[in-house]
Amino acid sequence: MPPVDIGDRLRSLPGGSAVALKLDPREYADHYFAVLNATLRDVGSETNAHTVYVAVTSPAAFVWTLAQALDVPRERISFVDAISHIMMNYSNPLENATYVDSPRALEEIMLRVEFLLRKFPHPRSIVVIDSVNSLAIHNPPELLSEFFHILLNNLKSRSVLTLVLETSDEEQSGVEQMLNLVVDETIDVARAGR
Amino acid sequence: MGPSLQLERCATGIEGLDNILGGGIPRGNMVLVAGSVGTGKTTLSLEFLVRGAERGERSLFISVTEASAKLIQNLSTFEFFRTELVDQGSLVFVDLPVIYERLGLSNEELNPEEIGILIRTIRDLVRTLGVRRLVLDSLTSVCYRIHKDEQIRDFMLRLGEELKEAGCTSLLVSEIGPNPGRYSLHGVEEAIVDGVVLLWNARRMGDILRVVQVVKMRGAAHSRAQYVMELTPIGILMAPHLKGGREGGA
Repeated sequence: MPPVDIGDRLRSLPGGSAVALKLDPREYADHYFAVLNATLRDVGSETNAHTVYVAVTSPAAFVWTLAQALDVPRERISFVDAISHIMMNYSNPLENATYVDSPRALEEIMLRVEFLLRKFPHPRSIVVIDSVNSLAIHNPPELLSEFFHILLNNLKSRSVLTLVLETSDEEQSGVEQMLNLVVDETIDVARAGR
Repeated sequence: MGPSLQLERCATGIEGLDNILGGGIPRGNMVLVAGSVGTGKTTLSLEFLVRGAERGERSLFISVTEASAKLIQNLSTFEFFRTELVDQGSLVFVDLPVIYERLGLSNEELNPEEIGILIRTIRDLVRTLGVRRLVLDSLTSVCYRIHKDEQIRDFMLRLGEELKEAGCTSLLVSEIGPNPGRYSLHGVEEAIVDGVVLLWNARRMGDILRVVQVVKMRGAAHSRAQYVMELTPIGILMAPHLKGGREGGA
């Protein structure tokens, strides 16, 4: 069976879907760029959606540079940055970002997502969480499960498409098992066409 | 079981808090907003008044410690605040030290007669202006000048009666330490009021989260769960305080 394009898969999902996007660590850069391309440029542009990007792996400034390379306009993306403060990398905050002190402040991440969704109301919104692995470094599993359960249900009830990035190899980790319980489907980027 | 009597609610306009309270504070209730420094007591109280003024309910802020001009300046951080609310008299600020001075209440300790004068002055302000929402920031500062527990009890009972009769819903700000074991300076205040909203800074591995819990609210079936509160330009937002399987929150 030929691989399915990530953009096509995302476009076919009903509103309010929660999707895990599984990236192979050995091809991380390629997979990550493919996901950004499909999310921000393909699906985001076509549907004129507003994307709230939760940056936990890399600072918002880094992701914003990539988004600019994909011609994503500033008004169509905003960031919740939960990593810059603990990386001591807050000297030049982005205008389209809101900064949370630490990835451990999970409720604040939820509330900043809520804030941005209210500030930029749009018929179609996308929330990208990058990534479950980075959150797992800073938070115990029980707390993280509770966070995803509440956040994803809330976003589902508001018809927001939620994408959770996950870096995982063949063996299923505890994080992956937890995520499987809260998402509607998993897209393996290695097996999807790009 | 027959249908219970539903009291009229005063929607705070803070969506999360109204959800916790099942629609708002029962109209005329006197509520203690207790918390230590930096927990958001004044911000919550100000939003309660601004949202009320927006709905056409005249709102009065009685400030004891902070000058009104500075408070109004702070309000400009709210995107929903319009200065017309103040200009048109929908949102009124009064500095209590100015009232003390005008009434000649200069003694460090207020005697029963002076306490009576203070209550009547607040009552007259509420009646004359038709105030529907009132904030006293802070009750603690007023109580510093009332030294006997029974006088504090009397002050609060009489103030509560006057405000309830006027249909005025009030928030009384109570400043407490970080681990007080009670909700007010003397421990008397929380027994008199109709409601207690407790705010505190919870720590998670060194990070601080603002947490809110409605401990008591007469006339309302409310959630007693803990919520994390975020002060944003569009107003206060709340989310459940994650426990992670641990008692009292992770």
